[in-house]
Amino acid sequence: MEQERKINTMIECIHAGKIFHTPDGEHEVVKDLNFSTRENEFLVLFGPGQCGKTTIINMIAGFEDATTGQILAAGKKVEKPDVSRGVVFQSIALFPWMTAMQNVEYGLKIKGVGREERQKRAQRYIDLVGLKGFEKSFPVQLSGGMKQRVGIARAYCNEPEVMLMDEPFGALDAQTRYMMQEELQRIWSTEKRTVIFVTNNIEEAIYLADRIIVLTNCPATVKKEYEIDLPRPRNLVSEKFLALRKEITGILDSSQLEG
Amino acid sequence: MNEKVKERLLSVLCAVISIGLFLGFWWWGTQRTQLGKLLPDPGTVFTAMCGYITGTVGKCSLLMHMLSSLRRVLIGFVIGSLAGVSLGLLMGRYALARAVFNPLYRVIRPIPPIAWIPISIIWLGLGEQAKIFLIILAAFANTTLNAMTGARDVDPELINAARMLGAKEGQIFRTIVIPAAVPAIFAGLQVGISSSWASVVAAEMIKAENGLGWIIQAGMDNNNMSQILAGIIMIGVGGFALTCIMRTIEGVMCRWNKSGR
Repeated sequence: MEQERKINTMIECIHAGKIFHTPDGEHEVVKDLNFSTRENEFLVLFGPGQCGKTTIINMIAGFEDATTGQILAAGKKVEKPDVSRGVVFQSIALFPWMTAMQNVEYGLKIKGVGREERQKRAQRYIDLVGLKGFEKSFPVQLSGGMKQRVGIARAYCNEPEVMLMDEPFGALDAQTRYMMQEELQRIWSTEKRTVIFVTNNIEEAIYLADRIIVLTNCPATVKKEYEIDLPRPRNLVSEKFLALRKEITGILDSSQLEG
Repeated sequence: MNEKVKERLLSVLCAVISIGLFLGFWWWGTQRTQLGKLLPDPGTVFTAMCGYITGTVGKCSLLMHMLSSLRRVLIGFVIGSLAGVSLGLLMGRYALARAVFNPLYRVIRPIPPIAWIPISIIWLGLGEQAKIFLIILAAFANTTLNAMTGARDVDPELINAARMLGAKEGQIFRTIVIPAAVPAIFAGLQVGISSSWASVVAAEMIKAENGLGWIIQAGMDNNNMSQILAGIIMIGVGGFALTCIMRTIEGVMCRWNKSGR
């Protein structure tokens, strides 16, 4: 059983690439991408700039096809979205006509889980993300940070094997962002999952990651890998943290930093 | 909250003033100018209206005429907008449906409902069916396009979110596309209900035994200006009431769309 779960949670990118055909010609955003996840690992894809990272998440999620190479989930080629791969969007993408509770229980409802059972399960995740008391609020009534908590609870509630997070805190202000990083760290410690987390924020990357894959900018491909074995919860101003930060920022060339 | 009350009071005050001024000018015109020869003064029209409401015009009271017009509009509007919204949603979501129906729809849409009056009479005679047929067309023509736009412009991220949560195409259509299109659908329903109301009056003016259109037509035949004006005023009131009701329903259905802080 343990062995089986290990195989099931694995995401593998094998020479994966993506070329968009635009009126201005071909635009290569991901090139020869190779990496795989480990069980219950918090993997951060870190790269400055706007290019390629979202596309990688979209390809793993199954929203977009890889134009070259392939992406495997649990050993099978990813062709379309699947409940085993939950996504937390940068745009949050809550269903605005549903309350927080209805958003969180949507996946269960689609699956045909009975009302009582699904509300019980949804409530657990609403409590986990700290939204008790806001079950009946519509997204428009919630702040940015609270919306993304709903987004995280919605993805978690479907009990995916892998969580894909595409700059989930990118739209939040700095203060809320720090708070959400702590929250995510706490949530993930409570409910371990394999997470692939995309960010362009180095502190966020080091704070959250078991392992950081540094990506190049346009086309995106693996530049370097770092194992982060600092004890959790991490101190953002510890000597080791700062040293790591300096080292990783150091390998980015200037053109990347501008992006 | 206080600001809101103030704003509301101000708008009511302005409405009273503008309607009052209008009535004042009307009264002044009929008393002091040649307008008196063309138009009865507002008091006369008001008295006549009260008489029509408590008594009868033709076979029944003014309010019953209005109800028979409303009945035609509601039947036609429900059928027409259901058909229009359904077709629009399908065209918005599915390229094939759009490719098949859109060209045809684009040609039919600009034809005003009253242009169908002769055909409707030939096909369906002079009874209720012909009138309801016209309203169905009016509602259909005005609701399809908005529903289509609404269904086509659903945020693709919402669709992706539903897919990753396990929704199949049918479930996406029912649980994501339709609710997301509701605000756009209501924009079409607003136009549709106004257009339906206008069409029923036109249809009743051609041939009817009751309804507000009949009242103004019969008023013309009897050279009874008060009756014509009473009919016109009720058409205005009825149309206004319909759009208000529609807006209220929209407010309830689209609660989520407004920042209710």
